[in-house]
Amino acid sequence: MTYAKAVADGIWAANAAKVGYIPSVTVAPIIKALVASDGGSDGVSPRVTPLSREEEAIGVLGAFALTGALGAVVMQDNGFGNALTALTTFPLSYHLPLLIFANARGGLGEYNSMIHSISQPVPAVLRAFGVPVVELDRRNDVDDWRDTVREAGVHAVMTYRPVVVLGSFWNTDGMVA
Amino acid sequence: MRRIEALEVLAELCGRHPVVVTCAATSRELAAVRDGDNHFYLLDAMGLVGSVATGLALGLDPDRPKVVGIEGDGSLLMNPNVLPTGGYLAPANLLLVLLDNGVYGSTGALPTYSSRVDVEALAAAAGWTTRSTDTADGLRTAFADLLDVDEPAFLHVRIEPGNAPDVAKLLLDPVSLRDRFARWLREDHLAAGRNS
Repeated sequence: MTYAKAVADGIWAANAAKVGYIPSVTVAPIIKALVASDGGSDGVSPRVTPLSREEEAIGVLGAFALTGALGAVVMQDNGFGNALTALTTFPLSYHLPLLIFANARGGLGEYNSMIHSISQPVPAVLRAFGVPVVELDRRNDVDDWRDTVREAGVHAVMTYRPVVVLGSFWNTDGMVA
Repeated sequence: MRRIEALEVLAELCGRHPVVVTCAATSRELAAVRDGDNHFYLLDAMGLVGSVATGLALGLDPDRPKVVGIEGDGSLLMNPNVLPTGGYLAPANLLLVLLDNGVYGSTGALPTYSSRVDVEALAAAAGWTTRSTDTADGLRTAFADLLDVDEPAFLHVRIEPGNAPDVAKLLLDPVSLRDRFARWLREDHLAAGRNS
């Protein structure tokens, strides 16, 4: 099993009803795994859809909790800069479960000379807003990635709030960027 | 037509629909006209009505009454992504009503783009079936027309600038709003026939 497949399996194991994603080269293998396991192709399946912007994803997938279902978002961590107002004023304030997996940029293995400016503070920023953050990297094996993503979804439902899993793909079988 | 007059018509028309309402003056005026457990007020998430309404429409049984989003022009233009997103995802049970007064009505009546940008044309280009009106009777007719459309529907309602006087602020706990709306979805919406 690849790390990307582990994330996809964890999202389905968390019982996500719908997954929205904002594209990045790092999350593309996760999306391919999600779509393949959901009977789709070319980035789209009955339960997986692309979205154009992170705050859109928070609104669209966060709304699923109002129907009693769990929505999930797959994105890159620099997109939290776009998503913070939506994240704090919608699912966080209304106590709506939402599972978010974001690949981590700006750390080890990074080629981009700028992206650390937004990505490195993301865990602290999210925690400052009261959003639970779980971090995964090369020290966790693929089974742990899958189980952690699944349990983060369970934790979101149990605690009525969005939960973020940040995954660094450096020195795994995945790509940093 | 003033905003509160449009909201009086919408309150009458939306009794069996899940309604997602934009923040500030629009929410508080609708609550003053008629509050309801089917109203989900976004108290601060400006620009998110179309996103939340789209997600709800995707998550609910499409054979039940359509999800109605009530949005303002300033808020829509803060997040115009909702138009291509709704058009792309294309839930048939989604009706977005845009109350367009040309200004940010809750923040000093500063101008929006809508005097120069045709937001109805933007919606149509993104795949929504559209209607427009500037009268109460026209609102009723267009709303009824759009209930029969099997793709995302967009109703552009031109209204006058200005807020209704002496309307109390909505100082509700968002968690209590979630609870009552989710309960209404479970207990009433699921039992209702489509658009009845």
